[in-house]
Amino acid sequence: MYRLTDVTRLYAKGRGTIPAVRDLTLVIEDGEWLAVQGRTGHGKSTLLNLLGGLDRPTSGTIELDGRDLARLREHQVTRLRAETIGFIFQTFNLVPTLSAAENVEAALIPLRIGAVERRRRVDAALDWVGLGDRARHLPGELSGGQQQRAAIARALVKEPKVLLADEPTGNLDEDTRDEIIGLLERLWRERGLTLILVTHDTAIARRAQRVGVMSKGLLSVHPADRQRAATGEPGY
Amino acid sequence: MFFITYLRRELRRRMRQAILIALGLALGIGLVVTVTAASAGVKKAQSDVLKSLYGVGTDVTVTGKAPKPPSPGSGPPKGGQTLQIGPGGAQVCTNGKCRSAAGQKIDHLDSASYGPISQSKVAAISRLRGVKAAAGGLALSDTSITIPQKFGQPGGSLPTPSSFNVQGVDTGHLSLGPLSAGTVTAGRSLTGSDAHSDVAVVDSGYAKTSKLKVGSTVKIVGHSFKVAGIVAQPQGGSPPQVYIPLARAQALGKAAGKSLKNDVNTIYVKADSAASIPAVQTEIKKLLPGDTVTSASSLASQVTGSLSSTAKLANNFGRWLSILVLIAAFAVASLLTMAAVTRRVREFGTLKALGWRSRRIIAQVMGESLVTGIVGGAAGVALGFAGAAIITKAAPQLTATIASATGQRVQSVGGGVARSFSPTASHTVAVPMSATVTAVAIAAAVVLAIVGALLAGSFGSWRIARLRPTDALSRVA
Repeated sequence: MYRLTDVTRLYAKGRGTIPAVRDLTLVIEDGEWLAVQGRTGHGKSTLLNLLGGLDRPTSGTIELDGRDLARLREHQVTRLRAETIGFIFQTFNLVPTLSAAENVEAALIPLRIGAVERRRRVDAALDWVGLGDRARHLPGELSGGQQQRAAIARALVKEPKVLLADEPTGNLDEDTRDEIIGLLERLWRERGLTLILVTHDTAIARRAQRVGVMSKGLLSVHPADRQRAATGEPGY
Repeated sequence: MFFITYLRRELRRRMRQAILIALGLALGIGLVVTVTAASAGVKKAQSDVLKSLYGVGTDVTVTGKAPKPPSPGSGPPKGGQTLQIGPGGAQVCTNGKCRSAAGQKIDHLDSASYGPISQSKVAAISRLRGVKAAAGGLALSDTSITIPQKFGQPGGSLPTPSSFNVQGVDTGHLSLGPLSAGTVTAGRSLTGSDAHSDVAVVDSGYAKTSKLKVGSTVKIVGHSFKVAGIVAQPQGGSPPQVYIPLARAQALGKAAGKSLKNDVNTIYVKADSAASIPAVQTEIKKLLPGDTVTSASSLASQVTGSLSSTAKLANNFGRWLSILVLIAAFAVASLLTMAAVTRRVREFGTLKALGWRSRRIIAQVMGESLVTGIVGGAAGVALGFAGAAIITKAAPQLTATIASATGQRVQSVGGGVARSFSPTASHTVAVPMSATVTAVAIAAAVVLAIVGALLAGSFGSWRIARLRPTDALSRVA
């Protein structure tokens, strides 16, 4: 469970500072799906970075299962990311020289898992995302959707508690977008992990349990009406 | 292994850049190896020159003070001969008694360059602290000339005298002195039992030109010496041509008309350790204040000529050029590695997001740099071998001139004033230049390659260590 209390993240710009996130207090329960929307530059990615321990707040506390990420030492946060948090990026961020399987395997390297077990888990993850037959392909040999599937496999192979997705469908066409969101939703349902997904796409946001909207660093959270989103009722 | 797979793939992806870095390092290292090889070759040439003069293992050499050349108009020393040319033709005069020189052969075995040192000083030196062994020697020159019948008359000119160097060898201390550096190619060397015998060992070059073999005889001031063996000295030296027992050289040789019985003109000294050499040198100078005391290192500094110039070129210009090229290669390698890291910040940011610690990413980059460096080092060693081979093949033969060190020079016949043969105070020898790549040079190349690679990698690593994942991930791919 995430517990954010009075979190503020300021960035220096010129002689002044810009608040990317302001006075954010929020609880995200285990197994919850929270979608975060908002205009570009209003703090969505900063929030995700703070939740992933990639960035530290200027003030306030971010607790994950009772551990304040802001107070942990760098190697402790790194360890936490390696074990607990999976990332999915808009641009996939696969290492171009490694095959799909090796990219997935890269997520297991910090966990010091033996090669045989790594191979087993990599194969299982790729099969789960439907990419078993493309395991030896390089990212450049895969379509955008396949690359994002590989990235999802990389995120889930370490069996994380939390999955942070930063506009995972931003670079995909509509059909592939639905396919990837379907995959993420299935992952969320089957594995019971906490999914925090940043998106510009309202249709995707409606499928979450709660939707947060970031505006000028402030977050307002409300429950999403999943029923209406599912039926495509006008007004959403 | 994931580390190896990742490293291999990255190097393959950046093949051109990796080759460029490796080539830069190879060039620098190749130059270092070549210069080191040339320097080693020059040192060996110097060493060969010195060994041929003073033998293997001689640390300090003492030579008698050179006698003053006779001043014009002064008479000959007692027993000396003058060649006088008058209206009745040429005459040879000894102690005021003259006879016609026409058709006469004048033969001298002289110590022209070095003055005599009492043989008792050899024993005195061997007793000094820090001295392991000392041996005396006589460096002499046998000069002969046959006066033509018409010499002194119009149209009669004096022919060039023939001369060869004779070395009196202490047969009780054969491990010291010029003969110790030689290799017997036929027959045998001198032995202790030859001390008073008319036997000689002949230099292989002289044996060839004079058509001497084991069992032949060689004439020294009219005495026949049986050739017991032929010896080859290291290349590049200018060894004595004939080696005879010291006692026989003392009996036959003269210095300024005086007998050299119980005298030597060179003493070869071996110190008990390299550290003792300066102290031994000082003690000998106290014992023999008028004579010249030379250590091998100071003698090397007296070597001039193109060998010396090449040594300076290799040691100064070559060294600095190598250092400059190495610095340039290291700088290029570092800059290219930094550029590569900059291009990969997004990749490294992703790995950090996946939970990779900075040091694991640094190890990956260091590994890539190290492999590039090792490839560059190997190519550098190959370039070094090629450079050394080119130097050995293409370099002109060098010359070494050793000032007043040889002791063998052509001197005037007797002490007369009428004619004198140009005395030479220096000795020039041809030295083949051979650049040899040593194990030390290869080891240095490997170390340099690793240092260069680690240096380049550490610049990249510094960049990675400072990299914030959020900054890296915000980069557009």
